[in-house]
Amino acid sequence: MLELTNLSRQFNGRRVLQDICLRLHPGEYVAIVGESGVGKSTLLNLIAGLDRPDSGQLALDGAHYADLSEDALTHLRRDKLGFVFQAFHVLPHLTVRQNVALPLWLKGLSGAAADGPAQQLLEAVGLGARAASWPRELSGGEMQRVAIARALAHGPRLVLADEPTGNLDPANAAMVLALLAERIRGAGAIGILVTHSLEGAKTADRVLHLTAAGLDG
Amino acid sequence: MNRRTCLLALASLPVWRIAAAAEPDQAPPVTFDPVLPGRTLTFPADHGAHPGFRTEWWYATGWLALPDGSPLGFQTTFFRVRTGLGEENPSAFAPRQLILAHAAIADPRLGRLRHDERAARVGFGRAGFESGRTRVWVGDWRFEQTDDRYHAQVSGDGFGYSLSLVPAGPPLLNGAAGFSAKGPGPRDASYYYSRPQLKVSGSVTLDGRTQSVTGLAWLDHEWSSEYLPQGAKGWDWIGVNLADGGALMAFRMRGNDGQAIWSAATLQPAGGPAQALPPEAVTFEPLRHWRSPRTGIDYPVEWRVRINERRFLLQPLMDDQELDSRRSTGAVYWEGAVGVTENGREVGRGYLEMTGYGEKIRVG
Amino acid sequence: MTLAPVFFGSLARRRVATLFSFAAIVLGVALGMAVEAVHDAALTEFGRGLRAMAGAADLQVVGPRGGFDEALYARLAARPEVAEASPVVEVETQLVDSLDTLQLLGVDVFTLARVTPALLPRPAQTGAAEGDARFSILAEDRVFLSEAAQQALGLKPGDQLRLHAGSQPLELRIAGDLPGAAENRRLAVMDIAAVQQHFAKLGRLTRIDLRLTEGVAPAAARVALQAMLPAGVLIEAPAAAENQAANLSRAYRVNLTMLAAIALVTGGFLVFSAQALSVVRRRTEFAFLRAIGLSRRSLFAWLLAEGALVGLAGGLVGVAVGHALAWGMLAVLGGDLGAGFFSGLTPQLQFQPWTTALYVALGVLAGMAGAFLPAREAATVSPAQALKAGDEAALLGGRGHPRLGLAILAAGLAACWLPPINGLPLGGYLAVDCLLAGGVLLLPVIASALAWLLPTGGPVPSRLAAARLGAAPGHAVVAAAGVLTSVALAAAMAIMVASFRDSVDEWLGQVLPADLYLRVGKISSSGFLDEPQQGRIKAVPGIREIRFTREDSLRLAPGRAPVALLARPISGDGHEVPLIAAARPGGGAPAIWVSEAMQDLYGWRPGQSVEVPLAGRPVALRVGGVWRDYARQTGTLMIDLEDYRRLTGDRLANHAAIFLAPGAVADQVAAALKATGEPGALEVTDPGFIRGMTLRIFDRTFAVTYLLEAVAVGIGLAGVAASFAALAAARRREFGMLRHLGLTRRQIGWMLAQEGALAAGVGVLGGLLIGGAIGLVLIEVVNRQSFHWSMDIHVPWGSLAWFAGGLIALAALAAVLAGRQAMRQEAVLAVREDW
Repeated sequence: MLELTNLSRQFNGRRVLQDICLRLHPGEYVAIVGESGVGKSTLLNLIAGLDRPDSGQLALDGAHYADLSEDALTHLRRDKLGFVFQAFHVLPHLTVRQNVALPLWLKGLSGAAADGPAQQLLEAVGLGARAASWPRELSGGEMQRVAIARALAHGPRLVLADEPTGNLDPANAAMVLALLAERIRGAGAIGILVTHSLEGAKTADRVLHLTAAGLDG
Repeated sequence: MNRRTCLLALASLPVWRIAAAAEPDQAPPVTFDPVLPGRTLTFPADHGAHPGFRTEWWYATGWLALPDGSPLGFQTTFFRVRTGLGEENPSAFAPRQLILAHAAIADPRLGRLRHDERAARVGFGRAGFESGRTRVWVGDWRFEQTDDRYHAQVSGDGFGYSLSLVPAGPPLLNGAAGFSAKGPGPRDASYYYSRPQLKVSGSVTLDGRTQSVTGLAWLDHEWSSEYLPQGAKGWDWIGVNLADGGALMAFRMRGNDGQAIWSAATLQPAGGPAQALPPEAVTFEPLRHWRSPRTGIDYPVEWRVRINERRFLLQPLMDDQELDSRRSTGAVYWEGAVGVTENGREVGRGYLEMTGYGEKIRVG
Repeated sequence: MTLAPVFFGSLARRRVATLFSFAAIVLGVALGMAVEAVHDAALTEFGRGLRAMAGAADLQVVGPRGGFDEALYARLAARPEVAEASPVVEVETQLVDSLDTLQLLGVDVFTLARVTPALLPRPAQTGAAEGDARFSILAEDRVFLSEAAQQALGLKPGDQLRLHAGSQPLELRIAGDLPGAAENRRLAVMDIAAVQQHFAKLGRLTRIDLRLTEGVAPAAARVALQAMLPAGVLIEAPAAAENQAANLSRAYRVNLTMLAAIALVTGGFLVFSAQALSVVRRRTEFAFLRAIGLSRRSLFAWLLAEGALVGLAGGLVGVAVGHALAWGMLAVLGGDLGAGFFSGLTPQLQFQPWTTALYVALGVLAGMAGAFLPAREAATVSPAQALKAGDEAALLGGRGHPRLGLAILAAGLAACWLPPINGLPLGGYLAVDCLLAGGVLLLPVIASALAWLLPTGGPVPSRLAAARLGAAPGHAVVAAAGVLTSVALAAAMAIMVASFRDSVDEWLGQVLPADLYLRVGKISSSGFLDEPQQGRIKAVPGIREIRFTREDSLRLAPGRAPVALLARPISGDGHEVPLIAAARPGGGAPAIWVSEAMQDLYGWRPGQSVEVPLAGRPVALRVGGVWRDYARQTGTLMIDLEDYRRLTGDRLANHAAIFLAPGAVADQVAAALKATGEPGALEVTDPGFIRGMTLRIFDRTFAVTYLLEAVAVGIGLAGVAASFAALAAARRREFGMLRHLGLTRRQIGWMLAQEGALAAGVGVLGGLLIGGAIGLVLIEVVNRQSFHWSMDIHVPWGSLAWFAGGLIALAALAAVLAGRQAMRQEAVLAVREDW
């Protein structure tokens, strides 16, 4: 369970987030929409443990971020979080399968041991045949499907997707969003989709609006 | 008398004055043969070199005529110098004896002298001398005597000549039977004889053109170990072949004040015995000066010379007969052909030599 | 020009990388310029001195150092072709109680005036000395010193000068100077007869300068006159000595210039690295410029201009630094940089506009060559593709050009068999170039091979680093090219120097078998042991065996430098000689043992019958074997002392090797030996001292080399660091993503360290492989052809391992530092596009 309690964050005196509260349960997939600059990414960074709030509390499965060290937060991400980025961020010097296996490597699996699960994940996103390809050989949509597979590879409790369709054409965007929703639900994880597209947001279970006033659904 | 130029020649080389003498830190000092009164000169032996003495020269000067009758003067001088150095050195290059030579042609059409010089140490056939007869050479220049005939062979810068000189009579002994005092001191003396009235024939090459010449010349042969008397700055000398067949040699040694400190003369009337004249019988009186444009030195180029009561007027073939070899050997003196008149009548032709008008002349 | 800020501004933005490229080019240009300027100065001076000495001489007659019969002088002087002949006895002398040497000419001042007036002495004009000055040039105890010699020795006219002459000191008074002598030429002149007498040259001349009669052609006279010369006496144009000196020092100069080339090539590669990375990062910028109308050609030209600008700056600063360096080297080391080719000269540095321009141009060339490939790459990318977001971190790809690389390596191998051209080992240098180029082209293959060899397991950072190397060697190659170049050249030099030192060390052991060595000063042409002195030495108690050596030099062919001759006791099998090849003993003619240079220069082979001019006669000898001589480059002959004495009648000796009797005390024997001569005249040393001193000199000579190498490698490494810094900045987003995935900072740092180590490792590995090959080329081709001596190969494994390990560690450290720099700002935030 992800719990956000009265989160606030300001940068250089500018208040970006104010008293954000949110509680999500496993299997819940929400979309957060809002204008540019309203603090969507700041919120995601806080949830990812990459940034710390000025006040308020964050907890994932009962672990309070405030109690965790930098390293512990890193391990939290490694074990329980998955990410999908707008720019894919697929490592160009790893093969498709290696990219998907990367989170498994981080959990301590050897290269060979990670290959099987990674292959399965790729098949699940429809790229089983491209496992040995290099990222540069893929289209944008395919690249994002690899990213989705990678985000779910290690069985995360929480998947954060930040504008995953921002670099894609509408057809691919729809396909990727559908796939993302399907995989998150299938994994029983909490999913948070950040987007400014109301259309895309509809693929989530519910839509939350982030405004200067706060988060409301 | 003479020729002092020797020194000149030496001055030219870094070999400054001949010298002499042994330096204090040098082992046994070299003893040069002394010039003593009373020695009888014997010929032909004394025509040859006397290597025991410090300095010796054969000095031929004279008037020549080209086929068209135009006059030339010539000078051939060979010096032999014993340096006193290297006497113990077994090296074939040991510089015990040096030969230096000067040659010049006075050509009124050119207006100045053509001259050149040579120097070498004796050895390797490059330079040498003989005893017993006159034979001295350096490189391809030579002056030698066969029987009683002399031969002068010179080829220099822009000129050359090959002349045969035949004497008309026996050697003319200067001073006291060849013992020629150069000053009041007993050591300032040389052995000195002359060969006047030498009949010249041969050829002269000027700027590549060879022409036959005839003429009349004068030869001095003189050797000594101490030459210039103390206080002398230079000298004036003449050697004149008189038209009547006689001969006149006269010189004076000048001190720093330009006044004579010694003079002497030898006058041989035609057919008569030679007279050696004492200092008081000889006066040199300069009449006209000429300034060299090269060296800025003033030379008296016209003279009145009194011998007893006879007065000879000396006039140069041309004014500029300065021998300026500063760029090569460095010696500067005036050595030139002169005509001699007495009472307005030409009585002879000869050579005038003037040294020490610039720097002090050094002879050994 | 309006676009200048767009492009040149980029250089300013990546100051560090630009600075290192600049520094390497400055170093290369400065070094090359300095070597060239020093050498020019020395050669000019040397040539000027020779010309002045030769004066108006049209031809020179030269012979063995010991000289030839003086009767030749009279014969030549009498020839109609000869206007004047000037005999000279030249001896190299050493001052008593000093290491200073002095070239002493015995001259005949009378003939000098017409042939070489520049040597005419001028007596000092001091009042007291006036009487003295008379004939001082002919005096046996007077010497005239050139201004340079007076200054160098701290003497003036009137002072005493003590020289080694034979085994006695000779006391001379300085009587004046040589106003016509070339400025800076250290020269002494005295009368020829005195030199003949004092230096045992009676009846001998070492040179005759000839002025020909007007209208006689030198070539015709040369033929006519050569016919009357005895064996071993040659007639040459005066320029020959100048050429010989130039040839002798040329090989040496080329080797130094090679060091400069190392730095320059490294500089070129650093420009390449910096430009390659910069161009990748600026892809979008270029795409935009292209989109708004900049032509492909203009873009290429501008990028080339960036490299040229760095090269120009480096070239300009380099020539300035080079001149300063040259000035310093001349002041400290002299014109031969301490190698001994131009002793007696104090050259002045002269500004050579063309040479200077050439070196500036070389700097520009290095910069442009480095910028060429990246510029071409940037210009060929299609703007549409480059404008797509996310392409910025595109990898420099490429598997290189393995086939081309192999072909170039093969060409390099073939070049090793080229004979020297004009005395220069151009084939060897071509091979070095080919090896370097081939190595760089094969670098991607080496990188892939290395990645393939790496274990696939292990910690995630290692796996990521290895995967990056294997998949995208491009980046590593860019960083490694500079490392490869500098490591290859440094390793090659290290191998060569180690082999050389090892061989010299062993050789010294072979040539110094005795317990004590005795000599008269260090100059063998003026110091010698005459027979009575030899007898006194033999009579010293405590000696088991004594071997005297006589040294001379011979002229074997016109236009060739003299060949050294050593006469010492040698048995029939030549076991006293450090032989590398021997003929079967036998044959009637006496044996001569020749150095490798004789084999290379004159083609003499073991067993061959040869004619050697000894004492003016051709003597038939048989080559007994070939030996190694590290002391002389122009050839050395060794002959048994008894044979030599029998053939020449020369019974002098220059030094002696002394073997002690059992129980004798070396110090006591040494003292007794010294006591046989005038105080200070004889030197007695033990081989340990000679060996130690030789190796010290050797090490000191090469210390400069090591220092320069270290600087070149250091700059190469710094370039790697700069590459990584640039790269790390470009990879901030990648690092951000990895942090999202749960890598700790430490893990990312560790990954970067391994990437750095791998890149450097590829460079070092390639560099060592190529360096080993270049080392072989240097030893077997370049040195052999330049100096005509072989050496045993000795690889300094230990030093190379330390060197390689250190470089890799430093590169790893550099990469980590670069990464830390890149992650200092909240790098993880960089993955966000819209914050």
